[in-house]
Amino acid sequence: MVDHSIAGPSGLTARKAAGDRSARARLAILLLAVLLAVVALFSLTAGASDASALDALRDWFSGPDAADRVLSARDRIIIYDIRLPRVVLGALIGAALAVSGAVMQGLFRNPLADPGIVGVSAGAGLGAVSVIVLGGTALAPFTTLLGPMALPLAAFMGGLVTTLILYQVATRQGRTSVATMLLAGIALSALAMALTGVLIYMADDRQLRDLTFWQLGSLAGATWTKIGTAGPVMLIALVAMPFFARGLNALALGEATANHLGIQVQKLKYIAIAGVSAAVGASVAVSGGIGFVGIVVPHLLRLTIGPDNRYLLPASALLGATLLILADTVSRTIVAPAELPIGIITATVGGPFFLWILLRKRGVIDL
Amino acid sequence: MIEARDVSVKLGGKRIVSGVDFEACPGEIAAIVGPNGSGKTTFLKALSGDFGYDGSVTINSREVSAMRPVEAAGMRAVLPQATSLAFPFTVQEIVRLGLIGGRSGALAGESERLPERALAKVDLDGFAGRFYQELSGGEQQRVQLARVLCQVWAPVLDGRPRYLFLDEPVSSLDIKHQLIIMDIARDFAKRGGGVVTILHDLNLTAMYADRIFVMHRGSLAAAGAPAAVLSDSLIEKVFDCRMRVGVLPSGDVPFVLPQSVST
Repeated sequence: MVDHSIAGPSGLTARKAAGDRSARARLAILLLAVLLAVVALFSLTAGASDASALDALRDWFSGPDAADRVLSARDRIIIYDIRLPRVVLGALIGAALAVSGAVMQGLFRNPLADPGIVGVSAGAGLGAVSVIVLGGTALAPFTTLLGPMALPLAAFMGGLVTTLILYQVATRQGRTSVATMLLAGIALSALAMALTGVLIYMADDRQLRDLTFWQLGSLAGATWTKIGTAGPVMLIALVAMPFFARGLNALALGEATANHLGIQVQKLKYIAIAGVSAAVGASVAVSGGIGFVGIVVPHLLRLTIGPDNRYLLPASALLGATLLILADTVSRTIVAPAELPIGIITATVGGPFFLWILLRKRGVIDL
Repeated sequence: MIEARDVSVKLGGKRIVSGVDFEACPGEIAAIVGPNGSGKTTFLKALSGDFGYDGSVTINSREVSAMRPVEAAGMRAVLPQATSLAFPFTVQEIVRLGLIGGRSGALAGESERLPERALAKVDLDGFAGRFYQELSGGEQQRVQLARVLCQVWAPVLDGRPRYLFLDEPVSSLDIKHQLIIMDIARDFAKRGGGVVTILHDLNLTAMYADRIFVMHRGSLAAAGAPAAVLSDSLIEKVFDCRMRVGVLPSGDVPFVLPQSVST
């Protein structure tokens, strides 16, 4: 490792010790934030309307007087009511999924843990489908009580139950068996999907249309209302999770050692599981199953800035948001005027990536 | 000090440790010896708060089972037998994890440099930038010891002694590094801290320990100063092989010479 000389908070120049990647990580986070802003702006202006990024920016900062507006009324609707919600929702979901992946990997002490692969998304999906199909009948009291929050909450509960079962099955005395975790994930996914299948069988035509659209995974239904219901859940989880970064770092040495270092391991695990379930549940509720973001993003970042969760979690949020906005932009422009569900794009890129990790780690990961 | 009274530990319905009395005083190295499976590690894990126990274990008069992790982390640091690591951390990043609790006791401004100083102590100068997983077993063990040293850098904090719990700290080390590590333990004790260590090498135990606890089938077979505890008959009974205990001409440190098991 190279020695970095950086200015400390006191203004004095402190020699950074070898093997300390924090300066590099902070720089990476800064660059990722800039990248996110650029990609978001690009996505706002990519598509059939020919408003430029500059126009959009100038319009955003123009006064309240209608005469100052740079964009036409039609372009304003396209950008502010159609594209902007998609960009915001894409950013939230991408960040939520990537951070959830990183947290799960820290919790299971394994780089292959991902909400989609181990069945958490399927569990959340079951919760969401229950509300879509049974919301008017069996679950009517639940949906009337909670209104628009019913869907994200049901997805959260589905994800929570799945994660808890998974953790119970796969972890013995603080050690998680990768094989058990992946196999339990397959079983839980299959079970959740079978139950989802039963519900779909019971659905009427109108519900069926909602379901099909939702199942493929898409941001096309993004509205400010949806952001209003699912957004806060994701935001709370996103803001809370970095506070457990130190604990997750200690957990890399095993549960007993984390405890010796002063970490309340049991509490950390419950909060992490709840945070992941909330973030994944909320994103599944609004956009369906979007896979592989949670495994690709943290893995790429660990290669460059290292596994320190204090930097990995915020960097994952930024890169996850950027990649999902980018994937969504591709999904709505590549076969324009039609749309390709975004889940197809993330799986097409993520699937081979997952195989690549398996090949690289062959012999290192103890299955 | 550390006091254990009538400590028993059950794991999965099986009694692994039964009725052990134990004491470790600041300024001393207390060594636990005994054959494989005699309950040494289980007992140390009870002291560390990993396992529930019957009886009583106190560190500086505080019951271990009633302490929050952060309070216990301020009083003792634990070196486990082996540590598996989930992600590619550098040596520097691992050692720095010892500072998580924020009670190293280092002077203000000193803690930034602690990882480097701790690495120098365990003879790993220049290893800070290396990846932990690429090191040999013995080097990894010394990195973990450097992390443990960072956690309780000052052997005494706020007037209270602190402790090192070391489970076979030298088992994977060459002879030079065995001595370096045991010297670190002795230095920690000399400066007012206490050390509890599990050892397999009886000669190293005789050289460094102030008090020896011999465990046999989950119970205490003997306890006391090396010269009092290390006798032909006890060692032969506990370890089930023939030994000759002598005394070095230079002084009163006993040495143990194993004979063949088969003859």
